[in-house]
Amino acid sequence: MKAPGRPAVSAQTLVSAVFRLRELGIGIALLLTVVLFSVRATNFATVSNWQDIASDVAVVIVVAVGETMVVLTRNIDLSVGSIAGLSAYLSAETLSTHHGVPIVVMALIAVGVGLAAGLVNGLLVAVGRIPAIIATLATLSIYRGLVFQATGGDYVFPNELPQSFQNLAAEKPLGLPFLAWVALGVALVGGAVLRWAPWARDFYAIGSSPEAARLVAVPVVRRVITAFAISGALAGLGGFMFAVRFANVDTNTARGFEFDVITAVVIGGVNVFGGSGTILGVTLGALLVATIDNGFTLLKFSEFWKIFFEGTAIVVAVTLDALLKGRVQDALRRRRRPASIPREQEAPA
Amino acid sequence: MSALVELVGITKGYGGVQALDDVSFAIEAGAVHALVGENGAGKSTLVKILTGVVHPDDGRLLVDGEPQRIGSAHDAHRLGIVAMYQEPTVFPDLTVAENIFAGRHPRGRLRSVDWQAMRSAVAQLLDDLGVEFGPATPMRGLGVADRQLTEIAKALSSNARLLIMDEPTAALSPHEVDNLFGTVRRLRERGVAVVFISHRLEEVAALADTVTVLRDGRHVTTRPAETLPQQEIVRLMVGRSLDALFPKETVEIGEPVLRAEGLGSRGVFSDVSFELRRGEIVGLAGFVGSGRSEIARAIFGIDRLDSGELWIDGRRFRPSSPRAALRRGLAYLPEDRLNQGLVQPMSVAVNTSMAVLPELTPAGFLRPRRERALARRFMEQLRIKATSPAQIVRSLSGGNQQKVVLSKWLAAEPRILILDEPTHGVDVGTKADVHRTISRLAAEGLTILLISSELLEIIAMSDRVLVMHEGRLAAELSRAEATEERIIEAAAGMQKAVA
Amino acid sequence: MSPVVGLARRAIVRWEALLVVMILAAGVWSWTLSSFFLRRANLLDLATPYIFIGLVAFGLTFVVVAGEIDISVMSIMAVAAVSIAEIWSAGVDVWLAALAGLGVAVVLGLANGLLVGLLDVPSLAVTLGTLAAYRGLAYVILGGSSISGLPTGFTDVGGGYISNELPDALLVLLAFALVLGVLLHATRFGRYLYAIGSTREVARFSGIPVARVRVTIFAISGLMAGFAAIVYLGFFGSVQADAASGSELIDVVTAVVLGGVDIFGGSGSILGVLLALILIAVLRNGMQLANLGGATQDMVIGGLLVAAILAGNVLRGAQSRGLPWTRARYARKEVTQAETPGVHSSGT
Repeated sequence: MKAPGRPAVSAQTLVSAVFRLRELGIGIALLLTVVLFSVRATNFATVSNWQDIASDVAVVIVVAVGETMVVLTRNIDLSVGSIAGLSAYLSAETLSTHHGVPIVVMALIAVGVGLAAGLVNGLLVAVGRIPAIIATLATLSIYRGLVFQATGGDYVFPNELPQSFQNLAAEKPLGLPFLAWVALGVALVGGAVLRWAPWARDFYAIGSSPEAARLVAVPVVRRVITAFAISGALAGLGGFMFAVRFANVDTNTARGFEFDVITAVVIGGVNVFGGSGTILGVTLGALLVATIDNGFTLLKFSEFWKIFFEGTAIVVAVTLDALLKGRVQDALRRRRRPASIPREQEAPA
Repeated sequence: MSALVELVGITKGYGGVQALDDVSFAIEAGAVHALVGENGAGKSTLVKILTGVVHPDDGRLLVDGEPQRIGSAHDAHRLGIVAMYQEPTVFPDLTVAENIFAGRHPRGRLRSVDWQAMRSAVAQLLDDLGVEFGPATPMRGLGVADRQLTEIAKALSSNARLLIMDEPTAALSPHEVDNLFGTVRRLRERGVAVVFISHRLEEVAALADTVTVLRDGRHVTTRPAETLPQQEIVRLMVGRSLDALFPKETVEIGEPVLRAEGLGSRGVFSDVSFELRRGEIVGLAGFVGSGRSEIARAIFGIDRLDSGELWIDGRRFRPSSPRAALRRGLAYLPEDRLNQGLVQPMSVAVNTSMAVLPELTPAGFLRPRRERALARRFMEQLRIKATSPAQIVRSLSGGNQQKVVLSKWLAAEPRILILDEPTHGVDVGTKADVHRTISRLAAEGLTILLISSELLEIIAMSDRVLVMHEGRLAAELSRAEATEERIIEAAAGMQKAVA
Repeated sequence: MSPVVGLARRAIVRWEALLVVMILAAGVWSWTLSSFFLRRANLLDLATPYIFIGLVAFGLTFVVVAGEIDISVMSIMAVAAVSIAEIWSAGVDVWLAALAGLGVAVVLGLANGLLVGLLDVPSLAVTLGTLAAYRGLAYVILGGSSISGLPTGFTDVGGGYISNELPDALLVLLAFALVLGVLLHATRFGRYLYAIGSTREVARFSGIPVARVRVTIFAISGLMAGFAAIVYLGFFGSVQADAASGSELIDVVTAVVLGGVDIFGGSGSILGVLLALILIAVLRNGMQLANLGGATQDMVIGGLLVAAILAGNVLRGAQSRGLPWTRARYARKEVTQAETPGVHSSGT
């Protein structure tokens, strides 16, 4: 028996459809882009070009997985580019001065440096209660300053690094570049963690409603620190990947990289106000941005349009998010039967 | 055998207001215990004490006969006491299932989230409640009623020994209420104690085994439900003394000033029509959630009005923003002093002048001396205890803060003043000052719409009383007709009086 | 007056006094590094490289006082500077070009403001996007090239001197400080900003045109970035699309926050921002005298930014919780206020 005046169940299916639309939308956009460029740019649809894209996008994906965790908690990490630069230099420097060090150890150093930097971010935000955007804007500057302190303006040149390391970038097990394998692994693990780990589900709860999270006894401070620490560690891993891809590391490595990452995350459907988003979406988002970049280059568009395009994409995505959130919520609220209803407590997003 | 929970001499005061005074009664396992009383009788405070949100000033709590100190929500959970919260625990981005298990996901292999177990547990719960949405529905897609059902499911999922349900049926359809009652009866058979708070006395009669009546923070009676007919409950709920209330002056009522016809806001209130006259104080009564404040907010241009028409002095008025309403001579004193009434870190003068800055600063430049003079005038008129107009309002007492809010709106020299809970949480002296001021203003020709949860305030101050029930006007009573019984009956929907 | 409020007020008064003390301390440190520091020419010229930072910071102050943030300001400045140079090089009179540049800056600020004020998109997200988008715009306009050789009469605004000693730019800064100080502290509009920044709901309920004011502040922030562009062109004499894309943004935010403007809105003064700017100028000057590199300087400024907010949070904590000996009284008050209806559906 149906109670009179109840909204049809289809209203709810509609909502879930709207919120799944994002991944579908990016998927379709990606497909269209690929088709378009394949037709227009003769050398787009080649295996070597796609391997190039895969290597490019790999670093973005790895760092974006960490950034996603932070953004899910309704925060942001602007310092990932500086952390990547710092990790890249410190680990490459270690390897160039101690040739015997295994490459795995180098990667671990990079991750460790990133983890430490991320922890500092997390403490400033969660314990120091500094808005994330300000705190990480400051650490962006501080970590970049540390790169200068460490390098003294010096470079690590490819020839200072062992041959085995230099070969890494060119290795293509099963036709997929080494870096892409790393990204795939990180994305899979990240996706699984966000799906299955109880502590990672708390990220969604915190971003969705920090007050409610506190009420159901989610350890908010600890979780936010964890998210920043993961973001830092993955930015560190990203730094190692930068070193692998370009082999020479200087003070400007990964400068401005945070925007590539944030663009991928936001385009990929992670809500900047926290609470929703998936690694699949972010991966697709990163692929879309990288494909368009690559296509622009092949079609000899000015590289300057890329920056404009990224920024505009962020603005459009957040505006759509805000509008969609408000609209859908409004539409549903209006469907309620007229009855005595306590005042809506929730502040508009 | 001892009772599951026993309260002995529980006392709790806030500032000068005594919320609970020496309350003692027992809650038995395997029974539904209804808690009834007017707004302000102390029910919410009692719930907060049981759930560890506030701590009693005096008295003891026995659980299974053992004295216990419930210091936090966590302590309450440990003892098996669970309360059904409303909105704040909602995660709009998560599914219904995750909302119910947020912070305590069932674990499977490798301590990972066991989605399967979670989904089937939630499906079972929702099935018991007979709702139409599934565990995977996103919370954002649910309206208020379904959110409340989710909240109920969450409380049920916690294996509580004592489950407190505060107005669980407020937004539910009859069908959903039936299902909920079925679930509550099953819980009772399992030996769970349920404390049930409701304004709907017929529900109390249908469900409760025991009824406790509170009045003015005092325990009136605890009796088996079958010995308490509804009329008797109403009689016990009311009957407060009339001390410390300001007698209203008799004022000659003038011509109509504001006319409302068929006002409606989808899902909140509908078909509300009334008229306010010059010099008249009209009380707007009804339980919290009946749409009282929402009407005021819509008239003042804060919330959207979906239907209906308004006239001020015979001219059409379309509420669009508080600014527009102010221009037409309306003022609204909101119920939430902290977030809507005052800018806490600013001075008395700045707050007093806030709604009249355009008039005070014709050239756009601030005139501090004029602001101070304005503030001083009202400090004197309303007996605001502040050292100077420069004092920061955060450092004032609640009563004096409320007087500053009142000053702010009186400074705008409105012709129609809507007061939403003007004396909530203030001491007796301030209350008398506020009443005296309201009465004098009406005598000077101001039209006042007085929204209050306190029946005595409504009865003592109003020339006419409008009563809301579930978003509709349930009754319109003249000063002579307005008794506590009549108002409560109308507000509880026990009689469908003709408006 | 309650002791806590008194304490808080004195702390605010002391904040500006503290800035003066810090400026003096930094000055003494610089003086020990080089006696050149105290030469009148150096003292007067100290702030010249940071005038454009100061103008942008003044604009941002309006935004932050109202409880918002605008991190796109440096990109707006770059677009304005690039536009002025590009229009001038196309043969238009430089002052007309400057006017057009100001117009561009206002439009870009307005775009931020409309998204924030009308569509209610959080300013942080909007300006994070436009930070990149506007920078891209600067690149699209000018590409990778650089324009220089603007007429002297124009570049004097940012780089000229009166009797070879007093920088014109310093006068520009002080004039703006005066005008904007009056606008923020002595007008109705300024009062609206503080009210909105403190509690937006109260402001709206009091009939303040909240949406309009929120749009306006971003336009002001854009306009100030436009003026900063004129000073920037004058000081550097040339412009590229990557103008001020480095630590300048941090300097601006630091000047605002270190100046005592509450990052959560509702308080702050132009005087404080001016003093903070001078402190940054003196510190950077001293660090240059001490031969510290740009990156090290940026680190110090970044640390200063973090420290300033942490200090503010600690102070605010003391203000709302009270100091240990007054805490009990305040805790009780909070409970009473928590009793205002809302959470539960029935009365108390």
